[in-house]
Amino acid sequence: MQIIEGLYYTRDHEWVRVEGAEAYIGITDYAQQALGDIVYVELSEIGTVLNQEETFGTVESVKAASDMYIPVSGTVTRTNEDLADNPALVNDDPFGTWMVCVEMSNTKELEQLLSASAYKELCSEVE
Amino acid sequence: MDTLKRTVLFHEHLRLKANMVDFGGWEMPVNYPAGIVEEHLCTRKKAGLFDVSHMGRFVITGKDATAFLQYVLTNNVLALDVKQAQYTMIPNENGGALDDAYLYRFYEDEYLLVVNAANADKDWEHLTKEIKAFDAHIANKSDVLAMIAIQGPESKNILGKLSKDTYLTEPIRNSLNIIELDNKEVLIAKTGYTGEPIGFELFVKSEDAAGIWTLLIENGAMPVGLGARDTLRLEAGLPLYGHELGLDVNEQEIPIFAVPLAKFAVSFAEAKGDYIGREALLRQFEALQRIIKRDFSNIADLPRMVKPIALDGKGIARSGFKVFKDGIEVGNITSGTMVPYLKTEGQGLETIIKDEKAMRSIGLALVDSDILVDAQVEVEIRGNKVKAVIPPYHLRGDAPPFARPILHDFTETRKVDTSADYKTKALNLIEKSFNNHLWRQEESINLIPSEQSHSSAVRLLSIMDPSFRYAEHKKIKSFYDYDVFYYQGTKFIDEVEHLLVEELKKYFNCTEVETRVISGQMANTAVFSAIMDFKNRVNRKKEASRLGYVMNNHIIRGGHLSAQPMGALHDYIAKDPITEKSAIVNFPVLKDNIFKIDVEETKKIIAKYKPELIIFGKSMVLHKEPVKEIREFVDEQNINTVIMYDMAHVLGLAGDYFQNPFAEGAEIVTGSTHKTFFGTQRGIIAGNYQKEDYKYALWETIETRAFPGSVSNHHLGTMVGLLMAAYEMNHFKDEYQKNIIENAKYFAKCLKQAGLDVAGDPDISYTETHQVIVKVGYGTGAEAANRLEDNNIIVNYQATPEEEGFTASGALRLGVSEMVRFGFDKKEFEQLAEIMADVILRNKNVKEAVKKLRSQFTAMKYCFTDEEIVEGLNKLAAKL
Repeated sequence: MQIIEGLYYTRDHEWVRVEGAEAYIGITDYAQQALGDIVYVELSEIGTVLNQEETFGTVESVKAASDMYIPVSGTVTRTNEDLADNPALVNDDPFGTWMVCVEMSNTKELEQLLSASAYKELCSEVE
Repeated sequence: MDTLKRTVLFHEHLRLKANMVDFGGWEMPVNYPAGIVEEHLCTRKKAGLFDVSHMGRFVITGKDATAFLQYVLTNNVLALDVKQAQYTMIPNENGGALDDAYLYRFYEDEYLLVVNAANADKDWEHLTKEIKAFDAHIANKSDVLAMIAIQGPESKNILGKLSKDTYLTEPIRNSLNIIELDNKEVLIAKTGYTGEPIGFELFVKSEDAAGIWTLLIENGAMPVGLGARDTLRLEAGLPLYGHELGLDVNEQEIPIFAVPLAKFAVSFAEAKGDYIGREALLRQFEALQRIIKRDFSNIADLPRMVKPIALDGKGIARSGFKVFKDGIEVGNITSGTMVPYLKTEGQGLETIIKDEKAMRSIGLALVDSDILVDAQVEVEIRGNKVKAVIPPYHLRGDAPPFARPILHDFTETRKVDTSADYKTKALNLIEKSFNNHLWRQEESINLIPSEQSHSSAVRLLSIMDPSFRYAEHKKIKSFYDYDVFYYQGTKFIDEVEHLLVEELKKYFNCTEVETRVISGQMANTAVFSAIMDFKNRVNRKKEASRLGYVMNNHIIRGGHLSAQPMGALHDYIAKDPITEKSAIVNFPVLKDNIFKIDVEETKKIIAKYKPELIIFGKSMVLHKEPVKEIREFVDEQNINTVIMYDMAHVLGLAGDYFQNPFAEGAEIVTGSTHKTFFGTQRGIIAGNYQKEDYKYALWETIETRAFPGSVSNHHLGTMVGLLMAAYEMNHFKDEYQKNIIENAKYFAKCLKQAGLDVAGDPDISYTETHQVIVKVGYGTGAEAANRLEDNNIIVNYQATPEEEGFTASGALRLGVSEMVRFGFDKKEFEQLAEIMADVILRNKNVKEAVKKLRSQFTAMKYCFTDEEIVEGLNKLAAKL
């Protein structure tokens, strides 16, 4: 299982990559493996204002649908359009496949998120 | 997880790195590393392997085993012959399902009931309680007997490679057998839960399970977990207990008849008697009958039914989501997900399944019973209403070896003549017709055994003036049965018809012939109708009873379509009230030669069923039919029956080189006049009754069922042509028939020598008729036939008795008659055999060689070539 240094993580298995005031958000390798074949991804529309922990989308495998929660508050500026036709990208490259990009309204929230090593520990506990 | 139960294959799943989950108290693989999508697609394209040992397996024995099962199950256990299985329900008193189940009868006096894993304890408790009232015994064999399913188009080949005997089961769903795999006894069933037309479930001793499981994987089956098992069954529209059966999302009981399969799983046969839930089920069934007739006035007993649903908009419909129509809530999704399928190219039989995959969002929904197919509905997904449709089905298995996904938005494309004006269209038609004639008559070799080109004389006579005329006639008792015609200007036709009857009587050596039927199928219909009328003649005031039992050749063993319940027998065959099936019994065949009737076994069946009608004759025919042996037997046993020989395919062979049907004891012969006979496309009925015979009245009924029963005007043009054909036949038949049989045997030998797999008995040179059957490999018959057609050799692809139907056919049916008529002899058939092997085995292009061979044989033989006749024909042609 892959975990990438330099990203922020959540207990719900989302990752955050910060670029300036923007945060790119996706789900982790651990999450995609647990879900299995991902067949549908539904995302919030551009312009949506989200508070931390609100649902920004749903990722669906053959077996089940799972909500995804925004790790940091902000406004959705972009969504990954490739996912509409090819949701399996999340399985193939979970860390290379961001889902939404938000312009953060409170960068302090980042401090509440997990580091790569803390997230790794979390995953090994669950195992 | 240590409280979970494990199947005997548990360690195999771990070894294969399966993702294990809790399923109904069992620790089972949900998927293997390939993933649900790949596992689903591999089952559809090749073969999937499933551990289904978690299901409950109960064995029921004892004097009252049948009576017990009739009481606790919904299906008719008396309809289950040995080596058959049936889908059934375990009902409760309310007409709901405690469970759905499969009942297998591998042995005469023992039933095996397979139930859902999650319900096994509940079922066991119920069944062991109910059995106390019966002299029967139930044993739980779930631990000693493992269960493995192998499903998909390759499953038969994989098992065939490993089986001691390559014959697995009859190629019909729900057939059973006991075979040896890897030297171990295996109970095999042609059943499954994937919608695959080719698929098997195996029952093996627990200690043998791991070995057989591994062997099947080594031979190409992909292990498939419960995840793909669910998507496969969903796509096939099969119910899953807890979703489509049991309680609905509102904790209300789902009526059994809400599930479409219920109509196959529930019986109200008198012989079944009363059983748990019968009354409630009958109310549901009555509601269903009204619903089918689109009377929705009283659907309280069946308010909602399970229907397929396909999403047009984005998203996935999950179990519990609400379904709306015109803004009103009409039901809920019971199962739904995104399932994969492989894209296709081309249409019809030439459809190619590609490797490219796609996904579609589909489900099953429990919706109001008045919602019709193609209804536009909406599914509420997380607050959004998403457009959906109710398609008739998601998948079809009626073109084996593949189960084929049906996309509801598919549109057919067909070539049409888009010319702006009718002159152009007319010219196009003429040109295409000319090219087609040239291709079939001068450039192609036709080996279709049911076809025959006509001589110039037959052709010309068929299109002269009588083809525009009308005639109807009937024997009148007042005129000593002299035929009276209803139209003027038909004296010529009267004469032609009389001459034709006499000529055909001579040909068959019989007393009566009816020539007005215009096809072989119509001939059979008229005969069946007459036999039924004759049976009911003593009291015509009551509803006529149908025929039963009738004995025939099963269609998969070459039986003629026209003699099947799905063909001309349809309206005349009774239902057996005990089994609720058509009252048909089939000729058994020899174990070592499935193309030949087993006479001794046939006698046993005749003695048991006392059939009212015995129909000989086949469309895939390599052997003589044992008419004489069966005639002797029924006479000796004093069995009141009619022996009929449907000679459609072999009519032109009647005689000393093949069979003399009436001399051997047939009473009635039917047939089409254009297959091995020289005639135009018509039918005939011949009979051998004397005026003083008890059954002469049957013959008279046959005549009235021909006219006015089947035809009024009987296509007079082709009747004149047929008279000429009868002259040709009676004049040339000795030479023609001898050459047909000799050349067919020789052709078969040459095909074998050329490396092809010729079916039948080598001791008789494979055939006693004009036909030769060549096996080209399971499921590849159509492809081979297409390749031959591209090379100007026209044949039929043919399913052998081991195969599921014409789309799965692995053989070619060849006939020598037309080419013999064009002068082919041993030398040419030898050459043709090599050419065909080049195409079939080596995929060579032989078109030019075929054209060259054919170009030397365009003049028809076995017809009159005398100068005066040719002159006469020219005179006729000049008048066209």
